Amino acid sequence: MDLVQQQLWVWNIATYLFFGGLGGATLALGILADLRFNLNKWFGILVSLLGLALLSFGLIWLVIDLINPLRFLLSFWIAGIGHSWIARGMVVIMGSYIFGVLYAIAAFFGSTTFKKWMGYIAMFCGFGVTTYTGLLLNANVAIPFWHTPALPILFTVSALSTGCALVMLILAAMKSHEAEHYFHFVEGFDILLISLELLIIFAYLDFARLGNAAVMKSAHLLLNNPLFTVGFLVLGLITPLILEAFASVKHSAKSLAGVASILVLIGGFLLRYLITWAGVFQYPHGIAG
Amino acid sequence: MARYGMVMNVHACLGCRACMAACSQWNQTPFWAEDFKGKWRTRVTEIEEGKFPEVKRYFFPTICMHCENPPCASVCPTEATYINKDGIVLINYDLCLGCGYCIEACPYDARYEYELDDLKKDEFYFGEDARHHQAHIDKCTFCIDRLEEGLEPSCVATCVGHARIFGDLDDPNSEVAKLVDTGKAKPLGSYMGTKPKVYYIK
Repeated sequence: MDLVQQQLWVWNIATYLFFGGLGGATLALGILADLRFNLNKWFGILVSLLGLALLSFGLIWLVIDLINPLRFLLSFWIAGIGHSWIARGMVVIMGSYIFGVLYAIAAFFGSTTFKKWMGYIAMFCGFGVTTYTGLLLNANVAIPFWHTPALPILFTVSALSTGCALVMLILAAMKSHEAEHYFHFVEGFDILLISLELLIIFAYLDFARLGNAAVMKSAHLLLNNPLFTVGFLVLGLITPLILEAFASVKHSAKSLAGVASILVLIGGFLLRYLITWAGVFQYPHGIAG
Repeated sequence: MARYGMVMNVHACLGCRACMAACSQWNQTPFWAEDFKGKWRTRVTEIEEGKFPEVKRYFFPTICMHCENPPCASVCPTEATYINKDGIVLINYDLCLGCGYCIEACPYDARYEYELDDLKKDEFYFGEDARHHQAHIDKCTFCIDRLEEGLEPSCVATCVGHARIFGDLDDPNSEVAKLVDTGKAKPLGSYMGTKPKVYYIK
């Protein structure tokens, strides 16, 4: 086997994967706050639109990465929807925009039933965006570290966690009883998500330890990179878990949860950057020389 | 309707890289790129194995494997990558988004980006005869334009060692089909389920 670290998808794709996942999760959590936790309509509208803005910011990096950025219009030609995750991703992204905006309009005009339907569909699309970012990498058979079912699950859990972190930061600045109630729900949800993320990372690396040569090389690259061990694992995952767990017991410690949220967001970006960076091609011997 | 394929006889490859030169001239691929690992539809890689005094050195020619189950086609969002009636994996440049997803998905490193800068160089070197007019992902086509004129792919036609043998795998009288039938010629990475149509005698 010839093992070659991939060089094509670097930080700009990681930026897209991060903001795509964060945007999708923020959209879903913003609408959830309105539909299920009775926060005022402006919270639902503004947070869901913030989610779409973050998704758009991520998409800019994806467009810049094209050989000819002007060709981005071709991405609407989703003929490969039957098999390609970029095509399927475009559908959920477009769904997020269409139903997200329709939800915001319905919420603004107070149309309850229409808002509910549009909101649930937009939430589904937002969740779809968080999931597809992992499936996108997962479809690359040439890179065994990505071609594992653990990756989409990891990216989905991580994206939801970053969404929770951002929503917590916004809620920390709010005073109402409903905001307090939703803050504690999101905080508890994030603790569960970070715990799950730790479990998935552990299983992923254990799989890599016993995997084939390319997978082992990817794991070796990650475990020897302080950005992964210290930056992501310690500062981006374990520290916020401890801080959030402590903050959840001490009900007044919103500032601790705020710090944890910022660490989760940095960790979320590092995870995507490092997973793409550690992608190693496993070419049959002779191909790469 | 044919099922075109190729057999690479690694023992017969001299490492002269005339195939790379012929291919890059015919197909106007970026021969102006900096190294032999860069933007080529076909490459000949020098491989050294073992330690002195047990050293083996040989040359390994590669192209797109024209898989029957190509991962590049299965990730393409616009179906720009497709398999034609003769089993050749091709790219419709008009539909190519240039996302590079196929480059990442190809387990044979057969694709590269034909960038805007390459278009300028193509026009500089070939003038009115320039064949690339838009940025796209590029790869071997088995010289489909030559096949339509009854010619062999340029790399095959130029190979001095008869290391590249091209033909219809469905034609039992063709040299490629006979070589594949002997079992001496085997595809690379068949464990991936890609079903390549380029075989190697090693």
